[in-house]
Amino acid sequence: MGAGRAVSISLDGVRDKNLMQLKKLNSVLFPVRYNDKYYADALASGEFTKLAYYNDICVGSIACRIEKKEGGSIRVYIMTLGVLAPYRGLGIGTKLLNHVIELSHKQNIGEIYLHVQTNNEDAISFYKKFGFEITETIKNYYTNITPPDCYVVTKYIGGESQSKK
Amino acid sequence: MNETSSLDSMFWQKSYETKQYKKGLKAADAILKKFPDHGETLSMKGLTLNCMDRKSEAYELVRLGLKNDLKSHVCWHVYGLLYRSDREYREAIKCYRNALRIDPDNIEILRDLSLLQAQMRDLSGFVETRQQLLTLKPNHRMNWIGFAVSHHLNSNASKAVDILEAYEGTLEDDYPPDNERCEHGEMLLYKISLLEECGLVEKALQELHKKEFKIVDKLSYKEEEVSLLVKLNRFEEGEKLYKVLLSMNPDNYKYYEGLQKCVGLHSKIGQYSSDEYDQLDTLYKSLAQQFTWSSAVKRIPLDFLEGVKFRDAADNYVTPLLTKGVPSLFSDLSPLYDHPGKADILEKLLLDIEESIKTTGGYPGRSEKEPPSTLMWTMFYLAQHYDRRGLYDTALAKIDEAMQHTPTVIDLYSVKSKILKHGGDFTAAAALADEARCMDLADRYVNSQCVKRMLQADQVPLAEKTAVLFTKDGDQHNNLHDMQCMWYELASGESYLRQGDLGRALKKFLGVEKHYADITEDQFDFHSYCLRKMTLRAYIEMLRFQDRLHAHNYFRKAAVGAIRCYIKLYDSPSKSSTEEDDELAKLPANQKKKLRQKQRKAEARAKKEAEVKNEEANAGGVSKSGKRNVKPVDPDPHGEKLLQTEDPLMEAGKYLKLLQKHSPDSLETHLLSFEINMRKQKILLALQALKQLQRLNAASPDSHSCLLRFFHKVASRPAPVTDAEKLISGVLEAERPTFSQLHGKSLMEANTAFLEQHKDSLMHRAAVAEMIYCLEPNKKTEAIKLIQDSPNNLVSNNGSVREWKLKDCITVHKTLGTVFNDHDAAFRWKVQCADYFPYSTYFEGRHCSKQSHTENGSIPSNGKVEKLDLAI
Repeated sequence: MGAGRAVSISLDGVRDKNLMQLKKLNSVLFPVRYNDKYYADALASGEFTKLAYYNDICVGSIACRIEKKEGGSIRVYIMTLGVLAPYRGLGIGTKLLNHVIELSHKQNIGEIYLHVQTNNEDAISFYKKFGFEITETIKNYYTNITPPDCYVVTKYIGGESQSKK
Repeated sequence: MNETSSLDSMFWQKSYETKQYKKGLKAADAILKKFPDHGETLSMKGLTLNCMDRKSEAYELVRLGLKNDLKSHVCWHVYGLLYRSDREYREAIKCYRNALRIDPDNIEILRDLSLLQAQMRDLSGFVETRQQLLTLKPNHRMNWIGFAVSHHLNSNASKAVDILEAYEGTLEDDYPPDNERCEHGEMLLYKISLLEECGLVEKALQELHKKEFKIVDKLSYKEEEVSLLVKLNRFEEGEKLYKVLLSMNPDNYKYYEGLQKCVGLHSKIGQYSSDEYDQLDTLYKSLAQQFTWSSAVKRIPLDFLEGVKFRDAADNYVTPLLTKGVPSLFSDLSPLYDHPGKADILEKLLLDIEESIKTTGGYPGRSEKEPPSTLMWTMFYLAQHYDRRGLYDTALAKIDEAMQHTPTVIDLYSVKSKILKHGGDFTAAAALADEARCMDLADRYVNSQCVKRMLQADQVPLAEKTAVLFTKDGDQHNNLHDMQCMWYELASGESYLRQGDLGRALKKFLGVEKHYADITEDQFDFHSYCLRKMTLRAYIEMLRFQDRLHAHNYFRKAAVGAIRCYIKLYDSPSKSSTEEDDELAKLPANQKKKLRQKQRKAEARAKKEAEVKNEEANAGGVSKSGKRNVKPVDPDPHGEKLLQTEDPLMEAGKYLKLLQKHSPDSLETHLLSFEINMRKQKILLALQALKQLQRLNAASPDSHSCLLRFFHKVASRPAPVTDAEKLISGVLEAERPTFSQLHGKSLMEANTAFLEQHKDSLMHRAAVAEMIYCLEPNKKTEAIKLIQDSPNNLVSNNGSVREWKLKDCITVHKTLGTVFNDHDAAFRWKVQCADYFPYSTYFEGRHCSKQSHTENGSIPSNGKVEKLDLAI
């Protein structure tokens, strides 16, 4: 111990055997209870949904859905990204998001997007660091929280944001 | 012998040995066509059929063959083999002996016989047979070794040494060749251990040194050497050697213990003078510098250090492990909780750490920040700490805090489940264990733990379903039995016993007993294998282990469980059909009809299922060799037939005998013996049990009540008439004075005296009360008051832990209800205990989860068991 205290952060896939870990995380991270479709989508997205482990403790996750656009191209929708409160500020969220960005890059996927509540400034500035931009505002997106509006936050890969990597 | 067939017989013999049973059968039939009465062929055909699982035909043919040719050693040998295959070893030995009478020098039969004698521990016979084998074939290494081992087992180690030395004398100087060096080295180590056993320690050491270059296993060489040195009081050399061994493996506790012995700093009870204490401290400090990567060298000092030194050492030990996140830290330290004061120090230490991390983010007095998980592991430790001290409220608060901090750590849920179990809320404990299980469906350990908790909560069907998730498909539930999964069978049996399902309980307990029989059986193959492979030290160790096998805890539990079932069965025989009809008669006619129909349907269904299964078994899988490899279906899967035993006490007696032989120092053994023999009216055997109880623990409440019950019962017997009765009462008269408690006292006075000695203990008071009621039933109220007035003092200096144990209070509650038959008193007791044990489901304490028996998985109020997979 002492100076050379190496903490390892690792990512692991989500399978039906450890799905409960994701559910546990979501139950404390988000005010919403996600339905079966959320978990089915997450499982179907394969490598795009990951759990983050800090010293072998599961402390965060990114869950994505792969969407087919009209015309056949594919985009990634980030359903949730979250890290347990005591473990924030350790680069875990960054590692999770970078993973998805890099994976999209490798698979030539041009677009990653998500919804953010309009007052969630921390999140918005977090995503902006990674080259995401606000591309749309949807009124009354949420039914049970205020403000009910959200932004659509998008990162285009390949074209506009190529320089950023 | 029939000359014409001997060539043919050679042929089928070969087919048998190569397991080509069908071919062998054909050959045998061909011979029998010509000579239908040929004894040896009939026998061999039988033996072949035996291998194809056609048992009854096999016995018929083998017996017929023997009848036709009584003078044939082959027929007798085959008959023996047949018995051996059915584990009827005594019969098999008889057959072999008959065969040898006809053909005394038949090596094959002698060898087979010797294996059986080793298995049955017929040691003098074993020596004899081994001697014969050696005389017949002295050029076989195995025969020398076998002869030596037989003498060793027959308690003649020095003779065994002589034989091994004679054997060595037959070897060339350049022995062993390269490919036999390991075997030869093992033989030498075995011989040296024999010398040590004979007390020839000096000679053993000389021999060891002399043969050093021939011994391949260098670690065993050193360990043997050091043990001999210590026995010879050559401590300085021993010390050096132990340090060498430690440099090879600095985590072997035995080496540290040996080293301490060599430097004169060893105490079995861990008591040291202040001088020794300082020396030990210095010793371990220097060792710790030498073996920085050893955890043993840091852990051992915690056992002997005290006060501030203990605190500092514990601090040094605990903090890196909290940082690292070692879930087993508490169980590593839990033995320290037996030392007075250390638990307090640990509590203070961990609370300081918690406080410091919460305020500064680091350990007390250190500037570095700890990773966030350290706080969670600290709270995790504290929760277990408070659990251990019986402060369940505090423990639960701590574990909840940890769960809020990091809700994804499975160990937190397991520990919370454990705390609730200790608090008496089995339902919530099971629910939490299930939650833990769901968090990693690929983890067999959390699955097993969950199954165990479910069984403790008497949720047997659910437990079965959960357990099956980790067994192979197909034979499912039975698979647990085939895998000898004893913890499961025991927990399941105990649950059935609690629920009064004696048949199923017996089935489980006897299943465990069967495993032990199988383990005994399993040694058979090693009698020849180990001699051939020369793993002699391991072989002897295995035999000694087998001799103590039935003393094992799991066997004891199973035997005790089975005996309790049989006693219960004897006390209230299962409902006969007439009684059931009586119960039926109470129901209105239409319900009666429905019930009957239901029963009939269920019976028909069960019958059909069994038939289908049997058919599958018969049709399926006749392998190439003609052997069926499907096991027959258990004809009594729920133990109903076991319940129909004529004489449950006799059945119980079988298991009692094993307990008496292998667990003579367990109080429970003799309590059960007492209960059985009192019921059987075997006065002298009950007396024997009584004497054992007094020997083991005369102060135990159970020993006391047995004593009084016995002499009370004896006093009420009619005057002896027959000679036997007179003899018995003579023995009793002679024996009574050996019980000092009864000297010059009536039973009632002895009871009072016992109370005086133990008047602060709940269980002793309960026993005394029960005896008052038994001796003088009119003093019932007084007796009950004695229980109710029991003091329940605080035991710990911090918090609210009281003397009474949950288990004891439950026993008392049952006694009030069943023995005293006073439901008011029982109810008052329950209310009182609900207060002491707020988590107990038994007493329905205010914090326990309600015991609702709804079908769709009740949701206990404890433990936050949310069904998270609900859709919105």
